[in-house]
Amino acid sequence: MRIKYDTKKKLAEQIFLLEILKGLWLTLRRLFSRSVTIQYPKERKELFPGFRGKHALIRDPETNQAKCVACMRCSSVCPARCISIRYSVDEKTRARKVDSYEINALRCIFCGYCEEVCPVNAIVLTEDYEYSDYTRQPFHFDMERLLKNWDEFLEKNNLEPDKYLNPFLRPRGLPLGELPAGKRIDVPEEWTYEGQVIWKDGKAVSAKEAASN
Amino acid sequence: MLENKAQLRLVKGDEATHEPYTIAMGPQHPATHGVLKLDLELDGETVLECKPTVGFLHRGVEKLAENLSYAQTLPLTDRLDYIASMANNVAYSIAVEKLLDIEVPLRAKYIRTMVMEMARLTGHLLWLATHALDIGAMTVFLYCFREREILLDMFEEICGARLTTSYTCIGGVRQDVTGHFLESLYDFTEDFPSKIKEYETLIDKNRIWLKRTQDVGIVSAEDAVSLGLTGPTLRGSGVDYDVRKHMPYDAYPYVKFEVPIGSKGDVYDRYRCRMEEMHQSNSIIRQCIEALPTGPIRAADAPDLVMPYGIQKKVAADATFSSGIIKLVKDSERYIEGDVYVAAEVPKGELGFYFVSDGKGVPYRMHIRSPSYIHIGALSFLCKGQMVADVIAIIGSVDVVLGECDR
Repeated sequence: MRIKYDTKKKLAEQIFLLEILKGLWLTLRRLFSRSVTIQYPKERKELFPGFRGKHALIRDPETNQAKCVACMRCSSVCPARCISIRYSVDEKTRARKVDSYEINALRCIFCGYCEEVCPVNAIVLTEDYEYSDYTRQPFHFDMERLLKNWDEFLEKNNLEPDKYLNPFLRPRGLPLGELPAGKRIDVPEEWTYEGQVIWKDGKAVSAKEAASN
Repeated sequence: MLENKAQLRLVKGDEATHEPYTIAMGPQHPATHGVLKLDLELDGETVLECKPTVGFLHRGVEKLAENLSYAQTLPLTDRLDYIASMANNVAYSIAVEKLLDIEVPLRAKYIRTMVMEMARLTGHLLWLATHALDIGAMTVFLYCFREREILLDMFEEICGARLTTSYTCIGGVRQDVTGHFLESLYDFTEDFPSKIKEYETLIDKNRIWLKRTQDVGIVSAEDAVSLGLTGPTLRGSGVDYDVRKHMPYDAYPYVKFEVPIGSKGDVYDRYRCRMEEMHQSNSIIRQCIEALPTGPIRAADAPDLVMPYGIQKKVAADATFSSGIIKLVKDSERYIEGDVYVAAEVPKGELGFYFVSDGKGVPYRMHIRSPSYIHIGALSFLCKGQMVADVIAIIGSVDVVLGECDR
């Protein structure tokens, strides 16, 4: 497709600066339209679930501890290598105990691989993005700090611990069989493989619904 | 008394010998779109020679990739052309899929095409904003960011980040789309052509804009090809080359679109070309939404590239310590020896990934053919004989991003 290279102006346009007036009229009209900006510290944008922000370890309501089982998946998949875990193995039961879990948040590139591969949904990137500080030390999250992050996040957003849902805890649109047992949590129907959305008659409908009609 | 020659020349005026002098433009110059340094050799205001210096933003992505598995390198591609990272993700994924011989499901292909065109819009909107700002039109800058913001919010909804998206995975996409996303994107596509009209009202026939852009930085079709230009910069000179059309990938064979081609090859032509491309992207997004099929979003055997799930679940259960998992990911039978070059059309031009694989889980060598790097190489040709003020317009019109150039 050859584009038009047409910049010739009519006589009236040349004399009366019509194109400038048109532009000015456009900007003048904008003066009376609704503002598109937000006044940040006073108003805050509502984030979508799954925004990759501050790290936290989800506190298990039963044990009051982290859910981590020291499978080392998060630390081995991390492209920035910012997660380091130390664990010990119980001689009798062969169960693993996490001795230390550390995340260097300054190295983290927030790709979300750790929360995606976690088979028990222990680690999560919360929707919190305001955590600046003057020194480096506060960004070296250890286990206690990560659990505290989770509590603070819940408190800040008035959330129930078991109501929190994030698309990385169960990736949208994956069949149940492909997920490890810990990730098979209840999600809205739209997020499941069966309920994936398609476009029909000018609006988004779930594929199941579209097939039944 | 006049003591040195310089003062003498100043006073004598007409008789002065024109001795060329050099100025350094950048690396902190706001109109160089990042950390680009140009050594300009000037005679008065005419550029005799322009020597670009790059490498201020070098992070060694190519070398880093040699020590990371294929899936781990993907988040690094966000940091190449950081204003349209979705397009880089897609380009990287299709290259790795070609290397590992993975067929992507149709639904994932459509979603990828959709997000790639959204990335093209974000890229072109930021290009128009900064290009106009460089030349002196402040209003367009604000209006473009208004629309770009809507697109970035949509990115946030589907992948959890506005700029560093990391949305695709090898063999598909990481998250399915939601109904709210589709509806808001569809609303956007209905509204967007009227917004393009607004930008055009502001600058298209504006006499200052025309004076600054017409007959500036002309590059003929032959020169453009021999300089290795790609994308809208090449098409502005009248060469019909678009990777989406001539080597289609993902869902591009299934959608209808046209490739806008310029005729003269000046800054104004490249500007018109990109404006027309925004219309085409808009229509591609619309077609993708309407034709979105159902089905899986990841290839059946791909997930084990990130972490052994599905097929190797049983093996993975035994190898739950760090080195065991890495061994599983890296020594999978998927990896075959050989090399592959795959290109995709990103907003800047042709982004190509060249892999040499020796059959291990990490590439032996990864090379990125980044359009910005090659376009910066063409700057010395384009700027020769132009005025200093036009150098700004030319840098804007070839649309470079230094994150991609220095990688």
